[in-house]
Amino acid sequence: MMFLSVGVRFEANVEALNMVETAGNYGKHRRVPYLVEEDGKLKTVYVPALSGESLAHAYQEHLVMEALSLNLPVCEDCKRHEFYKSMDEIHLAPKLFLSDTVFEEVFQDIPSITTGTLKLLEEELQKVKKGKNPKEERIKQLEKYIELIRNFRESSNPRDLFVQNKSLAAQLVGDFMIKKKVLDLSPYKIEEIIIKNCVIEDIGGFMYAASPPVRRSSAFQVSYALPVKSVALFATSEPQLHARHAQMDASSKKGNASEQMIYYVETGTALYGFTFNLDLNAIGVSAITSESILDKDEIKSRREAALKALFRMLSSAQFGAKLSRFFPVGGITEVAVAVTEHPFVVTSPIYDDYIARTEKRLKVLKSLGEKYLFTVATGEKVPEEALNEAMNYLREQGAF
Amino acid sequence: MVPLTFFLKVTLRPTGVIALRALPQSKMRTALRYVPPTTIVGAIAYPLLHIAGNRAETVYDKKKFKSAAEEVLNLFDWVTVKTTGKPRLYGALLKINTVYRGKVQSAVTSFPFAVMYGTNDATITAVYLINEEELAGSTYRLEDIKRAAWGITRLGSRESVVSVEDVETGRTDIVETDVTETPYAFLFKGLEVSGKGTLQSVVDWRSGIGDYSKAERMVMFYPEESVRVQGRLRIARVGEEVIVLAP
Repeated sequence: MMFLSVGVRFEANVEALNMVETAGNYGKHRRVPYLVEEDGKLKTVYVPALSGESLAHAYQEHLVMEALSLNLPVCEDCKRHEFYKSMDEIHLAPKLFLSDTVFEEVFQDIPSITTGTLKLLEEELQKVKKGKNPKEERIKQLEKYIELIRNFRESSNPRDLFVQNKSLAAQLVGDFMIKKKVLDLSPYKIEEIIIKNCVIEDIGGFMYAASPPVRRSSAFQVSYALPVKSVALFATSEPQLHARHAQMDASSKKGNASEQMIYYVETGTALYGFTFNLDLNAIGVSAITSESILDKDEIKSRREAALKALFRMLSSAQFGAKLSRFFPVGGITEVAVAVTEHPFVVTSPIYDDYIARTEKRLKVLKSLGEKYLFTVATGEKVPEEALNEAMNYLREQGAF
Repeated sequence: MVPLTFFLKVTLRPTGVIALRALPQSKMRTALRYVPPTTIVGAIAYPLLHIAGNRAETVYDKKKFKSAAEEVLNLFDWVTVKTTGKPRLYGALLKINTVYRGKVQSAVTSFPFAVMYGTNDATITAVYLINEEELAGSTYRLEDIKRAAWGITRLGSRESVVSVEDVETGRTDIVETDVTETPYAFLFKGLEVSGKGTLQSVVDWRSGIGDYSKAERMVMFYPEESVRVQGRLRIARVGEEVIVLAP
């Protein structure tokens, strides 16, 4: 059993890593209140921040790349970095026909499934046609579904047919086979299908909000990245004025075209700290039955991808937004990594004593008979060395 | 002789924000300012189940589904929490976000959370009174509960990462009294309170935490510092402090 917890400090000067909204031509940086207590009264100073969601999104983007490089499955949505996470029947449907094994299990009785679906489609078509204002578009769509399901019934390779018509097939399967219970999928089966087809949803969790609802918590957790407390009041969020210009010829009337567009980007400057936890034991294991859904080798490969993605994210500083024009000046300054047998969280690096506190707390675990690794990169050691040490330790322990 | 009750007093340091989603929610999401008892139970349930090798988070039973934390619920006689500092509720975006690629029709606001970040170090201290009879009948040992306390990783939603800074254990007896002082949250029912605090309606964890939709609610008083409480009280001393139990 293995649990990884990482505290990260990074310096970011003039960054726009997490923008939240625009008001006209003004792009706002995410900010959070910093509470200052004076004479029993609470004052608030707003400081720049990065949300856990933003960091989690970046991590999952790296996870997509690492998973693909290890030939692990990633669903179409996640490949595009659109982390819908099988939120409903339509987004679940493509996973039913992406692999032979899942397809054969789910579509065992094609004659019965197609008969049931055709009946539903024809009823729906009649209903639409008899309606007061029959919608042509809907009629055409239903006719396409009927054609597809008839071809599906006759096809010598039905899975290929669905794959070739992926978008239409996903709508048909989602709306008429899963939603109307022609395919009776249990929560266990839904979880298994999703996990087998997508590493990102296995590690990053999902919420299938249909019937029956199935949820899987993310195996990783990320805190907000907040300015380190001792220097938080020096953190700034400052609007920077920018302008785009266009050449105008003499015949253009003034005011007819925008020869100049001004806009503001609110940039932040701070020394940030955040915590990242990864529960390696959750990967590839059912959150319903506790049984392994995948074989040992695949679980190990997925763990490797999860660790490499974290390594890559921190080492490359590829997280947050607007990197193409506001890549922050600075970089990772400190990293503290704890690997334990059961959950344990390093003290947040927003506190200056976080390394000493973590070390002290880990000694308690030792007194409880638990093995651990704790490594830090603060001075001469670079973050990559500390992360590498943790990965080597996990490899020795047989985690991957 | 009545055996003394075993307690755990767990000091938690937040990573700045604690996102505690209040239910039920509409498009306008809301957050709780203080940690409800259900979250305290959920927080220790995760490492406890981890120790047992139980990865289940949802249990499906006769087409009903509930949280796996329900499995360890009976191990606790009472849970409560103390908060130092005054959390502030904050949500950056309060306008409705609109459609994404014309497909997603739902509109949501940003998630508000309780901010515990500032010049003073805010801490949350959770107290668990253990039902040792139930513990003896379970697969867990007292050592597992202690280790689980050190393994609390978050409170509420996934960005609410916390670190456990201290775990104090001991035994206490439950006594009756008419007046006491406590910094810990207590059930606000038939009591007279002197001092500052906040009332918060929370799910009554004793009625089950598997399914919130039909769960009973209770009103808890969360003291700002320490408050004086009068009434027919059942209290327990945990270290140097006192907690007030449900009547």
